[in-house]
Amino acid sequence: MNASRFFPLGLALLLILSIANLVFGAVSLSLEQVWQGLSVGSEQHFTVYEYRLPRIFLAILVGAGLALSGALVQGVIRNPLASPDVLGVSHGAGLAAVFYMTYFAGASTDWLPEVALAGGLVAALILWWLCGAQSSAIKLAITGVALAAFWASCIDFLMLTKPLEINNALLWLTGSLWGRGWTQLQALLPWFLLVPVALGLSKYLNLLDLGDDSATSLGVSPQVLRLVSLAIAVALTAACVSICGPIGFLGLVAPHLTRKLVGGRHQALLPATMLTGACLLLAADLAARTIDPPIELPAGILTAIIGAPYFLWLLLRMK
Amino acid sequence: MNTPIKSLSLGILLCMGLVLLSWWNLFAWSVVPVTGLDVWHAVTAFDSQVIAQRIVIDLRLPRLLTALLVGAALAAAGTIMQGLTRNPLAAPSVLGVNAGAALGMALVSTLPAFYGAFSTSIAAMLGGGLAWLLVMLLGSAWRMGGNDQGRLVLAGVAISALCAALTKAVVIMEEDQAAGVMTWLAGSLADARWQSWSTFWPVALVGLIGALLLTPALNLLQLGEDNARNLGINLLRSKLLGSLLVLILVGATISTVGSIGFVGLIVPHIARLLMGQDFRLFLPVAMLLGAGLVTLADTLSRAITYPMETPAGAILALIGAPFFIYLVRKRTL
Repeated sequence: MNASRFFPLGLALLLILSIANLVFGAVSLSLEQVWQGLSVGSEQHFTVYEYRLPRIFLAILVGAGLALSGALVQGVIRNPLASPDVLGVSHGAGLAAVFYMTYFAGASTDWLPEVALAGGLVAALILWWLCGAQSSAIKLAITGVALAAFWASCIDFLMLTKPLEINNALLWLTGSLWGRGWTQLQALLPWFLLVPVALGLSKYLNLLDLGDDSATSLGVSPQVLRLVSLAIAVALTAACVSICGPIGFLGLVAPHLTRKLVGGRHQALLPATMLTGACLLLAADLAARTIDPPIELPAGILTAIIGAPYFLWLLLRMK
Repeated sequence: MNTPIKSLSLGILLCMGLVLLSWWNLFAWSVVPVTGLDVWHAVTAFDSQVIAQRIVIDLRLPRLLTALLVGAALAAAGTIMQGLTRNPLAAPSVLGVNAGAALGMALVSTLPAFYGAFSTSIAAMLGGGLAWLLVMLLGSAWRMGGNDQGRLVLAGVAISALCAALTKAVVIMEEDQAAGVMTWLAGSLADARWQSWSTFWPVALVGLIGALLLTPALNLLQLGEDNARNLGINLLRSKLLGSLLVLILVGATISTVGSIGFVGLIVPHIARLLMGQDFRLFLPVAMLLGAGLVTLADTLSRAITYPMETPAGAILALIGAPFFIYLVRKRTL
């Protein structure tokens, strides 16, 4: 499938999934009811407008953001196993946010994305310091996984030793879209100004695939390019994590899937990956809400159930 | 370089340290004041009228014994796994056995279709066994070079993540059972009583003795599979036996106290550092060290948020994860 067919199909899928997300749930509505629900005063207004609609937008943004950062990381360090969650950046951001919420209980949650960003950057720097630039794909992935395990155990420890503040943190941490609304959407939106910057980099990212020497002779500084791309990836991940908590494997699976469909040219790959990520998270959230209503599963659980076997398959195929 | 006298003195030293640690564990950080002397009296001349002595006998002693045996069992399981896979990063928690066992238990204790089909410990063994089988099958497909050892670990991590996600899903969907399941998922010794001890110790003891009997075969396996085969060792049988022992040890542990990670990873390395490469020497030392580590973690689990308790598993994870990173860094993968 080439890019010209991928985008219409992907957008159509996105639309269908969005409508399905509006219709199905603990209470299934008809299309007509959904339409009426969009206007104020209708019986379904709260369900449709305050509950399901912002959640759809959030799923699209978070899915797209995580997938894009995954594609950037994979493109820059040329490691098929890399993604912000495998490398421990998501959990580092998560730890910073949980720390902030438990120790500064009265503080405003408006700063959560920035705090998460600081945590994600620190996690990335520690990984860099531990591995250096020259380590193999496998070693980088194992160190990242080990670091992620460490951040996760710190999060567990904080939540177990501070049980009074646990509710807030736990709600946030599950990798779920439950209970998020327009406020969170507003907080997330400014961070997506980074997306055009990332897309603008795509031309240069292609040069990086030719090797560092060729890139340099073509007038691109590989080091600067790497730093900028990774910083954007970490920032997008941290912003998404600060809203939904770590959602595993999405940043790993979406770029791989997309690369299979549209090829590795970054101009097509980056936007296509965002579309794939958005569709995946919308589908995961839809399944999470409808498997066993009214109980909701965190969408992160479903992405892990799909993503972990995919990761195994990648490992099996790797040379 | 290890003379028998040196080994013996080290063993005696470790045993003495363990006894002291156990004694400390019996009285430290109790909400109702218990002194070291109360412990002595409770053991030598038990008087059921004294509350402190009742606490020691009814609550603390089963908890201590469970901690000791859990530590020994996990350390032995880790040692066997590292011996079988010849992979220094192998351990029940790293290669997915813990997560698989937890999933097995979550399935039998929450889903009506599985109610009473197996006891929880059998379910834990089956779940852990499936995960282990999967990892081993993947592992045997790869030649064990440096890269493939790393790949095995990543496969284990991915299987762990899958099992953990499924466990969470099962637990959330059966909400009325969730509280109980969540407690043992964190891995705490707070609920260890004589009743759970009585079902735990025979199984664990069988596993530990089996592990000690397996050590000569593990030694030969370190020479490489071809050499081991030439020396007349039945590879398949040793591997199956070793895996079975791991499952017995881990399954019994997890069904008693929940998922406690990283003991099986850390302890064999320290034991090897102390005793050299001979499994016959360092497996017993690993068991002693594991018992000590879990007992220490259990004591700390009462201290950190006194008078509340922190699950011992959370404390061990906090120590274990940096050690894991250190091991990864040290090796050329």
